[in-house]
Amino acid sequence: MTHRGGNPHRGLGWGPFLLGFVPGLLQWQLGQKPRAVLAFASCTVVFFVGWVLVRERLFYWALLTPDAAGSGLLRTLAGCGLPITLPELLNLPANALGALLCWDGSPTGERLWRLPRDLEHLGGFLTGASGMLAAFWSAAAHWQLRRRRDGGADLPPPVADPALCAGLSWLVPGLGHARAGQRDKGVLLGVAVAAVFALGLLFSHGHAVDRATYSVWWIAQNLFGGGSLFAALVTGPMRMVGEPPDLQLGVVLCTVAGLMNLVVMVDAYTVAERSVFPLRPQEAVA
Amino acid sequence: MNLVLRIAVYVPVLFLIAVVITGQHHATAAATLRAAVGRTGRWLWWSLLLVGGMLALELAFIGW
Repeated sequence: MTHRGGNPHRGLGWGPFLLGFVPGLLQWQLGQKPRAVLAFASCTVVFFVGWVLVRERLFYWALLTPDAAGSGLLRTLAGCGLPITLPELLNLPANALGALLCWDGSPTGERLWRLPRDLEHLGGFLTGASGMLAAFWSAAAHWQLRRRRDGGADLPPPVADPALCAGLSWLVPGLGHARAGQRDKGVLLGVAVAAVFALGLLFSHGHAVDRATYSVWWIAQNLFGGGSLFAALVTGPMRMVGEPPDLQLGVVLCTVAGLMNLVVMVDAYTVAERSVFPLRPQEAVA
Repeated sequence: MNLVLRIAVYVPVLFLIAVVITGQHHATAAATLRAAVGRTGRWLWWSLLLVGGMLALELAFIGW
């Protein structure tokens, strides 16, 4: 039971979930106006630094590409500023503005989507990073809302901010655990994720993580932000001379590494969260 | 890619995935590693069953 008699396992509901798509809105509601401005500004700046490099390419990299051969609904959504591009969609206002500024559904426009750009690997990483950043700001606000709902006045501070732990683990797997006090476990988890990612790059000769070619796989690969940044800067721009024989294996391994890091991020959040809201004895046994 | 190389990739990757999965239930690296070894063993048995089942289906519907 919470200090107000509620069930602590209940979520915060659809309202906070949906408001979390607009960076800073939940912080504004919480009365943390400087943090709200910082959240909105950081997500918007990171998005548009990347957007100037990729622009229309984001339509081509969407989970569901809104081209003329596809669904009319997708084209309508994209024209209204709602292309289903992940993880940019998590930063809803910047994603919408970026889409509205460059939407052109004509055949000429669609050709532009397919046209490779200079520095597009870095640009694609940055726009994606803005979506992840928006998710971490949203997680930070959800944590504050949870503390207000379930905590009393004498609630102890967490060992580390859970959203910060998750964000650190996105960049360097295991760093969030180290921050939350589980250093040796963090090193072990970090080595596990990095080893699978490195194996993937090795088998694919460095071509497994390439948003321009494997845009759907990249959505999961990007859950290991440090790895996808490395790929954006180092391996992504490399020219492919003949397809490596184990390219597909490399793509799958890098994707598995990203999904593994999703588990690591959630666990880092949970470790920090449980320093304030520990499991009840019967739950711990279960 | 030959079968030996496939196994040489599959088993360590399975173990590393098990490390991440079991890590959610333990607070130290040593406890996580011990649990991951057992989990990998169980998953290997399930993998063998799966491959055996697929081979049986292949024999039943396609033949040699």
